[in-house]
Amino acid sequence: MKNIIIGFAIAATTLAACNNSNNDTANAKQTDIKNDTALATQQQVTKDTAGTQSTTATSEATFPVKEIITGYLQLKNALAKDNGQDAASAGNAIVATLAKVDMKGLSDVQMKSYMNIADDLKEHAEHIGANAGKIEHQREHFIMLSKDMADFVKTFGNGGQTLYKDFCPMANDGKGATWISEVKEIKNPYLGSKMPVCGSVKETIK
Amino acid sequence: MHRIKKILLALLIIFIVIQFIQPVRNKSGQVLSTDFGKVYAVPGNVQAVLQNACYDCHSNNTMYPWYANIQPMAWVMARHIKNGKDNLNFSDFGSYTGRRQISKLKGIANQVKDDEMPISSYKLMHKNANLTTEEKSLIMDWMNKTADSLSTEN
Repeated sequence: MKNIIIGFAIAATTLAACNNSNNDTANAKQTDIKNDTALATQQQVTKDTAGTQSTTATSEATFPVKEIITGYLQLKNALAKDNGQDAASAGNAIVATLAKVDMKGLSDVQMKSYMNIADDLKEHAEHIGANAGKIEHQREHFIMLSKDMADFVKTFGNGGQTLYKDFCPMANDGKGATWISEVKEIKNPYLGSKMPVCGSVKETIK
Repeated sequence: MHRIKKILLALLIIFIVIQFIQPVRNKSGQVLSTDFGKVYAVPGNVQAVLQNACYDCHSNNTMYPWYANIQPMAWVMARHIKNGKDNLNFSDFGSYTGRRQISKLKGIANQVKDDEMPISSYKLMHKNANLTTEEKSLIMDWMNKTADSLSTEN
């Protein structure tokens, strides 16, 4: 009988603990939201002042076209070298860059296009970041990510460097796939060392 | 001996008590206008496979097995379902952007091709989810075909 009472006591404490922790999370969330808003307002203020002080600030400063492209190229080069680990880091770097993008300087059309692309881009980059040991899986996501990047470059330009749109008919199970490169010579990110030079330049983006 | 008995009894009581802590069930009962079947013309045989092998974790309506009433099974399930729905929710497919829908369709085909989905722990308990080669190619072909037709539209 005594045991049963002890048992119930333990259970009751566990239950109570559960409820408490739930409340805590709710509270914590609320504080988080408050902090975020405070931070956002603060950032805005700082940016506004910066804007009035230097008129030379280009949209590049707020919208990281170049940084996103650089992240993509690092990923592409890692895959071309069959390095899933580096590909994962590059994927995570893209996610981090996208997270701090400020869309304030964009026109409505650009913003719509960016949100559409970034939504998908982010998901593929996340998957690539989370699958360091599965390079074939990373490459599957890279097919779709490259398509997003091609559209990104079409809308936002090449960030000041000449880029090449390459196509390999053997990638993607023989259905073919494109990628963007910063060098004219072919370095295939889909087949890597198996067929490093498969593919050709389809377009030069100057 | 006396001690072991005490511990066992305490465990039993904890087991009984946790039975009363049931997670909320994933069963909305209604079909949203964003449902996969409403966004696309999905053939019956494709829909049947999706229903049997995917919808338990990737939709708003789970068909719960009997052991879902036993804790801590239901907690594990609730977590799997949340993860599943975060990555892909057939009930809410229409709310994804066009670009993302294409990605998801291709992603489904790839996951099935690579035997990543359905996950093995799920297949262990759901014989229907052990897809045959025919079922796999049915899903892969339809997903890829639909994705490609959407890609050329845009």
